[in-house]
Amino acid sequence: MVSSFCWGCLTRLPSAPRALLPPTLTAQRVAAFHTSTALLAAKKGASAPKYRQGTSMTMKKKKRPAERTRPPAVGERKALRKRIVLSNPNALEIPDMKEVSNETMVDSRLRGSVLGLPVPMLDQLRAVQAFQPKQGWSIFRRPGTVVRRETLEIARLIDGISGEGEEKGKVVKKIVSGARATGKTVHLLQAMSMAFTKEWVVITVPDSQELVTATTAYAPLSDENPNVYVQPEATAALLSRTVTANPVLSKLKVSREHTGLKAPVPAGTTLEDLAKMGIKDPAVSWNAFQALWAELGAKSAAPGFEKGFQPRPPMLVTVDGIAHWMKESKYNNVDVQPIHAHDLLFVRHFLSLLKPGTGQSSLPNGGMLLYATSASNSPTIPTLDVALKQVAARQAGVRPSAPEFPHPDLYAKTDQRVLDAFDSYGLPAPKEGTLELQTLAGLTREEARGYLEYFAHSGLLRENLTDEWIGEKWSLAGGGVIGELERIGRRLRVNTA
Amino acid sequence: MVFILGVNFPERNLVKKSLETFFGVGKIHSTRLLARFHVHPTCKIGELANKQVLDIQAALSEMKIENDLRRQVLDNIKRLKETGTYRGRRHALGLPVRGQRTRTQTKTAVKLNRMERRL
Amino acid sequence: MAWQTSNGLVHAVHAVRRTAQLRPLSVLSASTPLTLQQRQPARGYATEGSQQKSGAAPEIDFSTFKNTPSRIVPVSPAYFSGSPKFIDHILNLEHILAKYASLPTVAPGTAPRMAWFKLLQFREVVGEPVPTKKYKSLLAILQRLNRIEPKLMPDEVQNAMNVFLRPGNPYAFKPVPATLDERGVARGKGKRKAASAVVHLVEGEGEVRVNGQTLVEAFPRIHDRESATWALRSTQRLDKYNVWASVQGGGHTGQAEAVTLAVARALMVHEPALKPALRKAGVITVDARRVERKKPGHVKARKMPTWVKR
Repeated sequence: MVSSFCWGCLTRLPSAPRALLPPTLTAQRVAAFHTSTALLAAKKGASAPKYRQGTSMTMKKKKRPAERTRPPAVGERKALRKRIVLSNPNALEIPDMKEVSNETMVDSRLRGSVLGLPVPMLDQLRAVQAFQPKQGWSIFRRPGTVVRRETLEIARLIDGISGEGEEKGKVVKKIVSGARATGKTVHLLQAMSMAFTKEWVVITVPDSQELVTATTAYAPLSDENPNVYVQPEATAALLSRTVTANPVLSKLKVSREHTGLKAPVPAGTTLEDLAKMGIKDPAVSWNAFQALWAELGAKSAAPGFEKGFQPRPPMLVTVDGIAHWMKESKYNNVDVQPIHAHDLLFVRHFLSLLKPGTGQSSLPNGGMLLYATSASNSPTIPTLDVALKQVAARQAGVRPSAPEFPHPDLYAKTDQRVLDAFDSYGLPAPKEGTLELQTLAGLTREEARGYLEYFAHSGLLRENLTDEWIGEKWSLAGGGVIGELERIGRRLRVNTA
Repeated sequence: MVFILGVNFPERNLVKKSLETFFGVGKIHSTRLLARFHVHPTCKIGELANKQVLDIQAALSEMKIENDLRRQVLDNIKRLKETGTYRGRRHALGLPVRGQRTRTQTKTAVKLNRMERRL
Repeated sequence: MAWQTSNGLVHAVHAVRRTAQLRPLSVLSASTPLTLQQRQPARGYATEGSQQKSGAAPEIDFSTFKNTPSRIVPVSPAYFSGSPKFIDHILNLEHILAKYASLPTVAPGTAPRMAWFKLLQFREVVGEPVPTKKYKSLLAILQRLNRIEPKLMPDEVQNAMNVFLRPGNPYAFKPVPATLDERGVARGKGKRKAASAVVHLVEGEGEVRVNGQTLVEAFPRIHDRESATWALRSTQRLDKYNVWASVQGGGHTGQAEAVTLAVARALMVHEPALKPALRKAGVITVDARRVERKKPGHVKARKMPTWVKR
């Protein structure tokens, strides 16, 4: 049987405290039997305290006004991070410090001393981003580098290539490898400073990572060739680095016709202007770079362009941190699959230089390729390790069929393209050297002594530089690892000051 | 300022984030769109070439997004209700549709599943 | 004891001599030293007398006993003291000491190390509750006797001392001093925290390898590198030796300091004379601290959970 009245309403009756009900409700109270809406509606505007609301005073916490400082402007923080200080006015000046010059760079008596970089060259070196922010240039009065065995070696090569002897026009290809802080990047810097002294054309890729992290624009090369990609902005940046750092380019004239650029290039245009066409319009920067590259490799002028043709200088090409180029990039192709770094034309161009050229050498006017690995900022790529070992084995004369020739792990994923990039077997052009691996290690004791004496002369060290003391620091620096020696020298300054 | 599908985007905004402001374009679709037109993921609106803007706009206009997509969703729910399915009833009652618990944590269902469904 | 101090020694010797002359000889002979095997039955009585001779005794002629003694006289005059055997031992030793007090002695540190009975063992042996203090005085006499120049040590003293030696000589085992192997490599082991290191030290020019890596790769912190090579640095030997270390377990600090200890030990093999310098540098002191284990019912090793009522 269904009850004739609503139990729910009955039970709710005593819960409405009379005292709380506002007096305006008296008229409704009579009728408010079957519905609670009236009660609820009445509560809204009423001044009666809400159920369970405290009556005590609540202290509101004072909100601190948000600090209204302007965020740094776009690019300001990055600029601060990348700022390079090359001089410390508090450090003592060393009066008889020698500079890099044609004579000093091959002088083996200077081994172990610190050679200063000529001040006019600093702008060029800055332009090619040879300096890195954390290399400790800012603790000395002026930037200088230690002449070590490898430096002299490279100086002799550079001297030979630009000289008139039988070494003239040779191409040297080296991969610089080594443990952390052994001076790989500074080794490149030394090579650049020597190349600038000899008026070579220097082309550098200081940060290889930037090209594969998908932070610059990319586009397929053409409709016929959709699987290779150009990076217009990065190429324009490379051109602009090259133009600023190499005043030689303004003396050289074009030697042939160039298509692919927006406007035809008339005879008599300097290479600088040619490159600037690419800088102004990134859309044609890749074509401009190719044109520039072809010009730098030209040995003679095409008919119609003979007037004012000058022989091209040798070239120094450096890349720092090649490990980033040995894996898939962060770019996506149309099918949302990652693009391999070797499919980026920029990367492919520089890696193809390692291969022996067909017919003529990869740098027809001679020069040097120096590609460095990085130990602090580098992805782990087992195939690259194997590839470098293979390079070393080939250099030592081990045949690929020999049992001691290193092979990649059969049970690991191997990137065949990486192995192929360093596989320099083939017939090298005359005057073209095979790919070599140069492993940098610590300084010798004598070189370490020269370096620490440089600290002492700059007023950073106050110790007596005895042989024992230097030997001790040499051991502490893991056998003369130069970056560690610098850390130690810097730390002692803090201790004694 | 760049107009894409009638919406004005400031030039300093990321393309990817801007695309994701459209109803119906999430991370997957935005990534695909960028890859299709060769735009790198950190590209800003201001760096887009004109052609790329037009391409993206054309691609977006082919996709079912914004009001079209909203209408489709509402139609689907309406169909469920009209055919008297269990799921339709749950939509109407403001309860979770896909077998979730109802003892607690039904805020989303309470908020969204109404007779006049909001999106 | 008076003769522990050197100036009281002569007085004490004279005093002992005087008392010894006054004493009847038979008393002394009653407490001739017993060998250990004879004392194997733990409890003996002073009235048992001592076995004087091993041969068969002549038959007792009972007729010669005209007068049986009115009471049985104990063999030892200390019979009525609380610990007669112990006192007999003391008196015997004092007598021997008095006899040979004039023999030359060696410095206390150079005397051969002897393993005397521990107090509890001695109580077992004599079967008497010997107080600690008195046993110490006995030991003092023994130490003094032990200091007699070993070449001149009389057999009597030696035998008297042997009675108090523990069975088996715990000091006989001497670890073989480490030596260089045929290639001139010294090996040292060291531990610290959870790390343990083995170091091979050769003469060389300051190359240091830890687990095949250079020092820099193994220890990124300069402080760790300094502590790992501290044994060599503090003695200015860093550029005279090559170190090949292999370390396991622990973290950077533990590994570095384990290498320190191992290097110091290996260095002592090459140059034992460096020990005081190394001791001063604090590299041969073992730091035996380890992380205390966590206990059940505790939050950490010692920390208890917060106490909550109910």
